[in-house]
Amino acid sequence: MRSIRLCVAVAITALVAGLAGCATTGYSLVAPGVVGVGDLTLAPAAAWNRAPAMSTGYLRKGSEEWTKDGPLLDRLLLIGGVRDGETLFENPRKDAALPVYRAGMLANELEELTESSLAKQFGEGAAAVGTSGLRPQRFGEHRGVMFDLDVAVSDGPDYRGLAGAVVVDDRLYLLLYLAADPHYFDKHRAEAEALITSARLNASG
Amino acid sequence: MRGIFPCIVAAVVAVVCALPAAAQTDIDHRIPPGYEPEQGPDEQGLWMEVEEYEKAIRRSALRVDDPDLNNYVAAIVCRVAAEYCRDFRVYLIRNPGFNASMTPTGVMQIWTGLLLRSGSSDEVAAVVGHEIAHYTRLHTLERLRSIKRNSAAGSIFDIGVAIVTGVSVPVGQLTALLSALSFSREQETEADFLGTRLVADAGYDPHAAYRIWRNVIAEEEAAEVKREQPGIFGATHPDAAERAAGLEAWITTTWGPREDFEPSVREHLDVLERSYLTLMEDQIDTNRFGRSEALLTRHADMGIDPALIHYYYGEMYRQRGAAGDEASAIDAYRRSLDTGRAPPEAFRNLGYLYLKSGEASQAAAHFRRYLEARPDATDRAMIEFYLEDMS
Repeated sequence: MRSIRLCVAVAITALVAGLAGCATTGYSLVAPGVVGVGDLTLAPAAAWNRAPAMSTGYLRKGSEEWTKDGPLLDRLLLIGGVRDGETLFENPRKDAALPVYRAGMLANELEELTESSLAKQFGEGAAAVGTSGLRPQRFGEHRGVMFDLDVAVSDGPDYRGLAGAVVVDDRLYLLLYLAADPHYFDKHRAEAEALITSARLNASG
Repeated sequence: MRGIFPCIVAAVVAVVCALPAAAQTDIDHRIPPGYEPEQGPDEQGLWMEVEEYEKAIRRSALRVDDPDLNNYVAAIVCRVAAEYCRDFRVYLIRNPGFNASMTPTGVMQIWTGLLLRSGSSDEVAAVVGHEIAHYTRLHTLERLRSIKRNSAAGSIFDIGVAIVTGVSVPVGQLTALLSALSFSREQETEADFLGTRLVADAGYDPHAAYRIWRNVIAEEEAAEVKREQPGIFGATHPDAAERAAGLEAWITTTWGPREDFEPSVREHLDVLERSYLTLMEDQIDTNRFGRSEALLTRHADMGIDPALIHYYYGEMYRQRGAAGDEASAIDAYRRSLDTGRAPPEAFRNLGYLYLKSGEASQAAAHFRRYLEARPDATDRAMIEFYLEDMS
């Protein structure tokens, strides 16, 4: 029982800290127009809600999570500037064995990297991630790719998704839209796709 | 609920210690077939909680719906369970990990990763027998009562917190608490002894009971990234090896040497081959290449179709991307294609490797073969883009 009691203490601390955090930070509005996220410039046609940093600890620094109806139902992940040898997400577990991005990856490898990273992110063994429809996609003057995602989760709704990926100066930029299926994926799909394909690189793009 | 992973260490010491005392190995069922909860209100409450849990499992998107795999596993469970067959509902779950579990109501979950790591039907049966023994010995109820006795404060609060702490169980406070706790060493030992007897009585090879653990130990040794679960598989995991040795000695004494038995390998291989693409795809997605390589080496030794083995060696080398892996991957895809039975994706993925190494004509040739073999390919636009780009 000692471990349970320890868990009790940890959980209460986390809960209190979490509630206190909620009181001071929350979602912020992303207004339509031109929005910068790291090196990326995006042009949302309608408003989104930007998740606070405290609820997106799984994201790399400089990345953002946006949502329309709440992150369990739909979310847009804007992951920028991944360098050679880095992972797409943060994971504190040393035994997570996250796949890493390698400079020079081809379209199929970017697709596989995303698939395996997402499977880990949902919890290894707790989700099966599939990809399909790999196709070329231009992001301004840069050649990138798009592909579709489907995710089966052990104890949640099915998710469908859309991913845009582009590599500039050996750095990977990944834009992911994931939403519960049915209903939510289709509800925001057109808007999410327009937003993903609106992505441009500030520096050299 | 609790799986067999946490059982390993717990059982070892007890198994080894119990060996000299023959009487302790003679474990029998505590409940009859068709059992309903009758030990008291706590047991009835437990059953109600688990019924909710079962509804969630039934809805899970990761339930395998392939009748071939389901029928195979269900037949093994029924054969081992014998007169208890109707007491179990078997759920095959798509998960590349090695696990099986049992609820006190007879809900048995088996992960697809267990099938990948078994060398014969007997080895699947060995794990199934162990789980059935937990059920017929009322181990969960025993555990619940032991927890209650040892809990100073009313445990309802603790149970609530167990959920907050992230125990990943969809419903049920009691089930959340129980899943956070493992069976006792004595219970694991009982499950080993009774489970192995059920397996032997059903006509399976009892020696499978330790072989399955040795498979898992070998895979863990090959792993590049070790699991962090405390105490289960440390750097040397002597406990798991000792458990296997203890079981081997007892089984040999009781049923005779392993040479007297013929494991049922063929049926298991046939089932694995028919679902190999799905099962191995999930394994490759774990990004655990040392383990995947160890599995492929075993599968090759077991006699799984070389077309499949070489294809996944190609996948493993290509995605691992260590020094020399590119050449190894090219060689593996070629071997798979040489059989004439390779998945069409072998053409495509070999094409990508040639593209990467600057061999444009080879890349284009293989991309074209892929599109011919897979006319409805969903990545046709991408492949055609590369073909145009190279021309």
